Amino acid sequence: MNPLLANCLNRRAFLQNSSYSVGSAALLSLLGQEQATASQWRGTLADKLHYPPKAKRIIHLCMAGGPSHLETLDYKPELAKLSGKGMPTSFTEGQQLAQLQGNRNKLKCLGPQHEFKRYGKCGRMMSSAFPNIGSIADEIAVINSMHTEQINHDPAHTFMNTGSIIPGRPSMGSWLLYGLGAETDELPGYVVMTSSGGGQDQPIASRQWHSGFLPSKFQGVQFNSKGDPVHYVNNPAGVTRAGQGELLETINQMNRMLGYRQNDPEIATRIAQYEMAFKMQTSVPGLMDVTEEPKKVLEEYGATPGDGSFASNCLLARRLAERGVRFIQLYHRGWDHHGGVKKGIETVSRHVDKATAALVKDLKARGMLEDTLIIWGGEFGRTPMAQGSGRDHHIQAFSLWMAGAGIKGGTTYGSTDELGYAVAQDGVSVHDLHATILQQLGIDHHRFTHKFQGLDFKLTGVESAKVVKKILSNS
Amino acid sequence: MRFTSLIFLATTFGAIAAPLSYNRDIRPILSENCFACHGPDKASREAKLRLDIREAAIEKEAIIPGDLKKSDLIFYINSEDEDEIMPPPESHKKLTQAQKDTLAEWIKQGAPYEAHWSFIPAVRPDVPALGEKHPIDNFIKAGLKGNEHEMSQPADKATIDRRISFDLTGLPLHLTGTSDPDKLLASPHFGERMAVFWLDLARYADTAGYHSDKVRDVTPYRDYVVNSFNKNKPYDQFVTEQLAGDLFKNPTLENYVASAFNRINQVSEEGGIQDKEYIAKYYAERVRTTSGAFLGATMGCAECHDHKFDPFTAKDFYSMQAFFSDIYEKGAYTGHGSYNKGADIKNYPGFKLGKFGPTLNVPSPEQEKALVKVQEEKRALEATTQKDSPELLSAFNKWTNDLLGKIGSSKPQDVVILEDAELPLGGAKTVTNNVHSGSLARIQKSSELTQHIVDANKKPVTLTEGDTLYTWVWLDPKNPPKQLMLQFHGKNWDHRAWWGEDLIPYGKGSKKADHHKVGKLPATGKWVRLEVPAKSVGLPAGTKITQLAYTQFGGSVLWDQAGRHTNDSNAVLAGLSEKPRKALLSVKKGKPTDQDRKELLTHYRTIAPSLALARKKIAELTKQEELLKTSTRSTLVTLSTVPRTIKLLPRGDWTDDSGEVLLPAAPEFLSSEGQPSKERLTRLDLAKWITARENPLTARAFTNRVWALFFGTGLSRDLQDLGNQGQWPTHPELLDWLSVEFVESGWDVKHLVKLIITSKTYRQSSNASPQLMEADPYNNLYARQNPRRLPAEFIRDNALAISGLLKPQLGGASARPYQPAGYYAQLNFPKRKYQQHNDENQYRRGLYMHWQRSFLHPMLAAFDAPAREECTAARESSNTPLQALNQLNDPTFVEAARVLATDLVAKEKAIKPRLQVAFKRLLNRPPSGEEETLLTELFNKQLKRYKATPDDAKKLLSIGLTPLPDKADPVDLAATTTVTRALLNLQETITRY
Repeated sequence: MNPLLANCLNRRAFLQNSSYSVGSAALLSLLGQEQATASQWRGTLADKLHYPPKAKRIIHLCMAGGPSHLETLDYKPELAKLSGKGMPTSFTEGQQLAQLQGNRNKLKCLGPQHEFKRYGKCGRMMSSAFPNIGSIADEIAVINSMHTEQINHDPAHTFMNTGSIIPGRPSMGSWLLYGLGAETDELPGYVVMTSSGGGQDQPIASRQWHSGFLPSKFQGVQFNSKGDPVHYVNNPAGVTRAGQGELLETINQMNRMLGYRQNDPEIATRIAQYEMAFKMQTSVPGLMDVTEEPKKVLEEYGATPGDGSFASNCLLARRLAERGVRFIQLYHRGWDHHGGVKKGIETVSRHVDKATAALVKDLKARGMLEDTLIIWGGEFGRTPMAQGSGRDHHIQAFSLWMAGAGIKGGTTYGSTDELGYAVAQDGVSVHDLHATILQQLGIDHHRFTHKFQGLDFKLTGVESAKVVKKILSNS
Repeated sequence: MRFTSLIFLATTFGAIAAPLSYNRDIRPILSENCFACHGPDKASREAKLRLDIREAAIEKEAIIPGDLKKSDLIFYINSEDEDEIMPPPESHKKLTQAQKDTLAEWIKQGAPYEAHWSFIPAVRPDVPALGEKHPIDNFIKAGLKGNEHEMSQPADKATIDRRISFDLTGLPLHLTGTSDPDKLLASPHFGERMAVFWLDLARYADTAGYHSDKVRDVTPYRDYVVNSFNKNKPYDQFVTEQLAGDLFKNPTLENYVASAFNRINQVSEEGGIQDKEYIAKYYAERVRTTSGAFLGATMGCAECHDHKFDPFTAKDFYSMQAFFSDIYEKGAYTGHGSYNKGADIKNYPGFKLGKFGPTLNVPSPEQEKALVKVQEEKRALEATTQKDSPELLSAFNKWTNDLLGKIGSSKPQDVVILEDAELPLGGAKTVTNNVHSGSLARIQKSSELTQHIVDANKKPVTLTEGDTLYTWVWLDPKNPPKQLMLQFHGKNWDHRAWWGEDLIPYGKGSKKADHHKVGKLPATGKWVRLEVPAKSVGLPAGTKITQLAYTQFGGSVLWDQAGRHTNDSNAVLAGLSEKPRKALLSVKKGKPTDQDRKELLTHYRTIAPSLALARKKIAELTKQEELLKTSTRSTLVTLSTVPRTIKLLPRGDWTDDSGEVLLPAAPEFLSSEGQPSKERLTRLDLAKWITARENPLTARAFTNRVWALFFGTGLSRDLQDLGNQGQWPTHPELLDWLSVEFVESGWDVKHLVKLIITSKTYRQSSNASPQLMEADPYNNLYARQNPRRLPAEFIRDNALAISGLLKPQLGGASARPYQPAGYYAQLNFPKRKYQQHNDENQYRRGLYMHWQRSFLHPMLAAFDAPAREECTAARESSNTPLQALNQLNDPTFVEAARVLATDLVAKEKAIKPRLQVAFKRLLNRPPSGEEETLLTELFNKQLKRYKATPDDAKKLLSIGLTPLPDKADPVDLAATTTVTRALLNLQETITRY
């Protein structure tokens, strides 16, 4: 029996017996705070959602490095015809280029390096390099008209995560935790995992899951496949769980005694945090231990327990979702294909394709897909122009897909020009994407703000953002 | 730049005895609900109406003073028509009835405006005469007038002592040993404490930030900040040095180090980034940081459009950028990036272009002193070697004549390969009192095998037919060796000759030339010549000898001149390098020039026995000099060069070149007539403007933040923003009084701090009555102190200090404490592995921890330390399970607990007296009976556990670098460690009450 649980009950008694007069605002605020933290943060929008929510949680499969839309989701037969020929200057004149900036006058087209095929009942053309993702074609809605503002990895990720390129803004997951809280008090509400393979590993900074100007309790917690799954979650050597329990029990008792003497609401909060920490010491290792999963499931994902692969992370994402985590972000660092995009795509597909589809199917089988929003995509796309045998960074157009939680499967939204260079129709900005995600969670992005430096900050920034209604089943 | 009288702002209409204050009561309503569309930003202004200026509001009839019916504002805010009501529904803003009433009352009273409080120069208000000695207390008392509450009682002495020690040094009373403000202010730890606050504002970190997030050394800047606070440098000077230290007339090293402030922004070396884009990012960041750190203003909001709430325009934003456009830097620190056109590091002697731009070596004062000393000594010695003393010249003549006699001589002759100049090589010891020739002999002493390898003179020696190799030795009769060996490096080392017993392992067993036995050891107590024909050690004519080795087994031997005995009539010349050889030949031919003599003498100085000691010393000094130079830290610095052109970027878009070109200028509404026509303003002018007495923001921003260091909250609550969207101060007169006092004291930081902490207000109890808590939950009255959790760094410092582990030395390179393995796995270019310090650097203060922007140490991150990517004026104070996990399980804290326990166990036998000691150290109070019982129970339970599993005890006691104490009973110690872990985890431990 967890000795800490017994004391949860005592706490209220202690407060009632303490010197606070019953009914005083101080007591109420103390109790209120305690309730909020002892169970969990309920969010600023709790009971005040702007719409009935479709999604309860999000799994963001962040394909880091800039996946080529031309080898994944955006079918461009015309580009194939021009492969090896000069890129028409009408496309690129005066445009921002990244590593190709020195070769501005010698730009050549590179045709799609993988065949596209029709998939699903919807018959959408998709890259044959991702047959498993093809097999869920009818579950997913593809946006082929994404565009962004930042052409380099680090700021582009920051923009995708926070809606701003200025450091210090909260990431999407932190916003959601702040607004919605989590449905677990044994795990962090915002969990991040990373994996790599398939291309050069671009660095990912922890600012990508930082809470910025929101309190740090809303920041993403990174789970690691090696060492402690969460930093310091394991007891020190020579300390057993029971021994640690005695220690925590004493700490909380001591803090309670302090609470009798000292009028400080942080004391009650601290007690609650130690309780949650103690729970996490079991729940986190429990979560990470996938050996209890049936062999069949492991095979479907292609996961080997403890290998730190994207496949294992996908399986863990499902387990996190089951346990009430609000925002789960999996980075796969393997998409930066400046050279050898054909081979690179093949490799990254081996890491990503099967597990992605398995996750969607698994969630569906468990009835969780209907309230889990899945987002699959990177920070930008890649040029139709060749960079040797690869492609450079590209911000004018790229693709991503979403599934679950009110997303109309089988839809394809927006389009690019015939070479996949720029958006031709129905452009979707990163802020539009954020607005759409928030909408599915029941949040009007205009009305979800936090005051900082005297301003009402929004995830979707200052400019007006629009919800991409056509990919939603409720429109 | 002078200040205007701020005419449009300062015009006050507050003549009527009005209970409503525009700044306190009205502006917050208008700013929050109206200014976004009817405020300073032209671009978003609706109906051409602005409400932030009285005349404009009256002209548009939004407000008719005294006339509610005619005031459109009243009509619109009360409208029930969705198309008419203000603020409009799509803004999702709504006025409460109380707010509507307030606005109406205000218009009735004549709608007086006031300039925004922080934009008017502060005037020292009268101190309310309420009978308190301390001005602060009088102001606080005045705030309590007409209020049922009074100031809280002073906290008890134990609490105050602990509070003052933490607040002034960030260290526990146990370490500082005093709560005397004067002593603590004089302590070097005061500067460290203040630096923690300043470094957040200055966004100081050890790494570049973006993408690969590489290390670049700027630690001297961090130490500059510590030292500046310790020296009590006037704040205006402190500001000026940081913004423009490099522009001083004769900048000192310290001035340059200070200027690193402009260069510690995040920079990128990501492949494929555009120079221009990143330059734009850096400039924009500098404006945000400069306005944030020094002015408490949010000029960053004016990057894309005029500020929506404050009178900062986009033009102001870019004009401010122009101050920084002279900074010698790149946008992209890659091949694509380029420095300012025309910039050339050659024009800045002493500076280098490092990976991230201009850098400067920064020796510590000790290093600097040591370097100067070494260089002076070296110069002096070099001068003596250059002297032409009669003795030297006479020896030189003798040497020359000797050589001349040998050239072309058919007689067999000795040609020296090694003499004094070479003997000291390889670090051997030399003697001067017993030499065969020259001034030095090498002494080798050992009970076993010993060997030294030396290079042959200047150039390899080429052997000729019939050469014999020799070396002079002196064997100590009291301690003779058992074996001697001469060894020569031809193509390899397999050329050995030996005397005495066969003990040296090299070549042992062979009877060939690689192990040629010569015979018995020579006589002791006199100089003898060891000789061996070159052929017998396998060195035929034509072989080049590059090195020699002296080997002996046991005993004490002096080794001196080595050479070859040769028939080669050309040997002398062959042994010389080109210049002296040519010179000697000229002499031989009888036609020497002065230059020839000089060459020869120069060569002779390098081998002259009389200079041997000086040469030896010079070689040592050169080594020391190199070591000092390479161990010196460096820093990025600001250098001023050709300014880049700054244009206003429409909507902040760096690709848009259409904006007007701007020159450096201060924000228009806070400066005089605008752009002076003559000279381009510099960062020095910017600093002058910021630190001008008339600048209404600078002193207020700093004073407000210093206040927050000692109360947890600012007098104006938003430490980032004193502008319209900031907070009306709880005690505006006090804030103004303090900031005027601060400026008039000569920007004396210690004076300001002392003023605050000697007030009754500061010394109040933080344990407020429930009534007061209820009435004033946010402590707007300051009728009590606020309890405050320690900042991340001080939580660490406290644990280390209490346990005795803390190494409290000031400054230096950053420290790398324990960190979870693999924490940097997501970093790349290059991949890297964290190397923790395994020496005393492990135990340095948190302030000195390696600050990796992209992956800040998990302990710092958990306790709300910012990554310092941007200027940060206020840290959150969160309370999370990750903090609990860190305190419970981080080896730093576990080690501190066990080292503390070790100390307790050594001092006291029983748990109760141990608790007494521990409580005193940690909490500055004895434990209560209940606490004692509880902790004793824990101790007993744990004792039982560890008795059953003594291996676990040892495991726990092995955490951290500190060795396991051999004396203590591991079971007792482990159980005590659990108790001290509990104590370190207490809320009371990490809070100053």
